[in-house]
This record gives sequence, structure tokens and C-alpha cells, in this order.
Amino acid sequence: MYPAEFAYVRPDGLDAVFTAVDEYADDAKVIAGGQSLLPLMKLRLATPAMLIDLAGAGELSGQHRTPSGVRLGAMTTYRELQHSPHTLGLLPGLGETVAVIADTQVRARGTIGGAVAHGDPTADLPAMLLALEAQVHIGSRRGHRRVALDGFITGVFSTGLADGEIVTALEIPLPPAGTGAAYEKVEQPASHLALAGVAAVLTVEAGTVRRARVAMTGVTTTPRRLTAVERALVGSTTSDVALSEAAALAVDGVVPLDDVHASPQYRLHLLEVATRQALQVAARRAGARWAA
Amino acid sequence: MAQVQDGTDVTVSLQVNGRHEVHTVPARTLLVHHLRNTLGLTGTHVGCDTTQCGACTVELDGTAVKSCTVLAAQADGSSVRTIEAVSRGEDGRDGGLDHVQQAFWDQHGLQCGFCTPGMVMAVRQLLRDNPRPTEDEVRRGIDGNLCRCTGYQNIVAAALAAADAEAAM
Repeated sequence: MYPAEFAYVRPDGLDAVFTAVDEYADDAKVIAGGQSLLPLMKLRLATPAMLIDLAGAGELSGQHRTPSGVRLGAMTTYRELQHSPHTLGLLPGLGETVAVIADTQVRARGTIGGAVAHGDPTADLPAMLLALEAQVHIGSRRGHRRVALDGFITGVFSTGLADGEIVTALEIPLPPAGTGAAYEKVEQPASHLALAGVAAVLTVEAGTVRRARVAMTGVTTTPRRLTAVERALVGSTTSDVALSEAAALAVDGVVPLDDVHASPQYRLHLLEVATRQALQVAARRAGARWAA
Repeated sequence: MAQVQDGTDVTVSLQVNGRHEVHTVPARTLLVHHLRNTLGLTGTHVGCDTTQCGACTVELDGTAVKSCTVLAAQADGSSVRTIEAVSRGEDGRDGGLDHVQQAFWDQHGLQCGFCTPGMVMAVRQLLRDNPRPTEDEVRRGIDGNLCRCTGYQNIVAAALAAADAEAAM
């Protein structure tokens, strides 16, 4: 399969990227790793007249400690993250999520900025980033802004990026002591995309949940937080009964996707199961951290 | 690295199996088509063409990627190694089968052979990342590559045998 014809540029540096994105506006797409965009282009579901390659903008790479967390350049590949023990040690849950994205070869090219900017309803990383309360750094010729990831992905392949804007980095705050995280997913076996994936980040103090962030992917039109589950968890114990009761709330008000891979009812079932498993694993890890 | 061209053609400069290759091709040319059609290196196969089967796996700057999902233009300035060169030494001479290929031969890790070039590249990547994998780690490590003949059993055996061979070197 061949993509439709397009012109290609690889601007040298971030300012040149901003200029190109501004100049070509609606006719252009930016390409990072291309592991999502190129398949869409080969199917002619995307037919940009101009492809702006971000690979020449070194500013989009690198991992930095900030006063409150870690900032990861948008061009950071999954593979780079897997080989960044320092970052993974600071941010529980990130390593095990990245490890189940697609396969080795795709992880070598796919980027974390792309995972967020593409707005795929089945992407793994946004679920964990939501549970870790990630912020999205956005840049354009006009300047920079920073927004919460929660609310940034607005629909299937849709985000809050305005014309001329690109994702430049993700910033993740360090979770408090006593925090454990887990990502559980049931996947479509050929594509490895999530039929239901749940990320849980729990802070536990002496057997009581103090803080809970739980998010899902693959089930609805966007990855999103499961706030009813979060509310039920805070103040509860980490007993199997308490976690199962909270997990049962995951399906509340959820309108599931319906496609060839899974019926709505099956997706809801998977959602509850994955939520329960993620909560159990995260609680156990949080407890272990607390004991240590 | 800077490359700004406004037309729909791009000039792609690559080191392929140690040779410097400069060609002007349509921007939409996929790396796998560039390797096969422009350079005549047909050892790299096009299987599913949808980033799932791994038959097109090559090493891009030393890391295994699916060349059906990389533009030749994106690879500009990089080095590529294909199945044609895995057994070639620093001097460019062909040294027969490399130890991964030999393990596939010894363990009957192929039947029709279509997936084999990609499998060999994937196993090489796996062993670079994890020189002593368990069977489970091998199965996870090659889950980006599909084989319709073998049921994977002998491919896994080949990967483990290649790890043993590497450890004995």
C-alpha cells in the first residue's frame, strides 16, 4: 500500500517546525514516529498534502527533572523510556504500561507525544498518563501553554490542539510516598490494541486508600478517568471486597464502543475485570512501598 | 539532518549494509519499497503491509523497525542493515550464516521461509536487549513477528539456541 502523494519537510529546529506548521496549516500533518499516522495514510484515511517531520527538532527530545516531577520530550520513544531506569523508577506504572504497547519494533519508533496527540481511543499510554496526572506542554509560533491531559483528548482522533500547535512535552508530577501503580489490559491479539485497559495509581497509608487515580482506555471514544471508582476508593480499605465494590462502579454511565473485536456488553465486562485487577495490583504495590 | 524540500520528491541518503546510497524518490516511498525496488535488496519481505507481521523488519541505526511503517525520507541520514548483510563481517566479506541464522537452520526454525528474514532481525534485536532470555521472554520478544507455518515452537528453540551459541563465543 502506498500513501497518497505528499510533500515532505524536516525542519531544522523547533522554531522552524512552528513556522512550517503555521504556514501549511490545514494541509499538513506533523509526523513523529509515524507508527499510527503512516498506517492511516497507507489506508488513505489520512491524505495530508504536506508532512512535517519533527525529527530535526532536537528540542523535542530528552528527559528532565523539574521541581515537582519529570518532563519528557514529545519525541521520546517508548523504547527510550524502557531503557530509562531513572525515569521509570520515579514514575510507578509507566514502565509496565510502555512494555505492553504494540511490539518491540513499533516501540522503537512510536513516541509518547504521538500517543497523546493522535487521540487514539485504544492507546495504552494515555490511560496511565491520566492516572499519573500528566500535563501536556503545547507550543506554537505564538508561544507555549500547558494543560492537564485530563480533558485534552476530546474525541476519536481529536484533541484540544489549536491550529499551528503541536505537543512539545509531557510533564508528570512525582507521586507521593506510599503510591503503587498498575496497568491491566485485555488486548486484541493481532494489533495488541486495548479492548479494555485500566491504569490505577493508589496512595495507601496504613491499609487505607488516601488518594486514587484510575483511568481507562479502549472502551469508549476517548481514554478517560473513572471518577466514580476514585471517589469510592478514597478512605476505603484495600481489602478485596472494598476494591471489588469500587471496581463495580467502573461501568457506571459508560457508553462502550461496538466493533468487530468486542460487543458493548463484553467490553463492559472486561472493563470491570481489568479495573478490579489493576486496583488489586496497585494496592499491593502501594502497601509494599509503605511497608518498605 | 536538515532537509527542507518542497516538491513531492526527496533525496534520500542512506548507509545500506555499509554502502552509501543516494537516490531521489517520491516522498511517499516506504523504506521497504526503497530497499526492495530502488536498491534491489529483496531479502526484506512485504507481508501484511500493516505493521503487524514483521516480515519487513530491518535494523535502522542499529535498532529493529518495521520498514513498511517508515518512510525512506524519515530514514535519510541513517544507516540500515538488512538480512543480506547479517552474516557480513566488518570487512564486508560474507561469512556464511551468522549464529542466529545457523540456529534457525539447526532447529528447523522455518518451513516456507517467508517470515524468516524478519524473524532473524527480531531475534537479533531480542538478544541485543536480553542476551540470556527465558522461553517466555523469547515469545514476548518476537511478538511483533508472525509465522503461519511453524507454530513458533522451533523459532523459539532457535532463539534460545542462538543465545546459547552467543554465550559460548
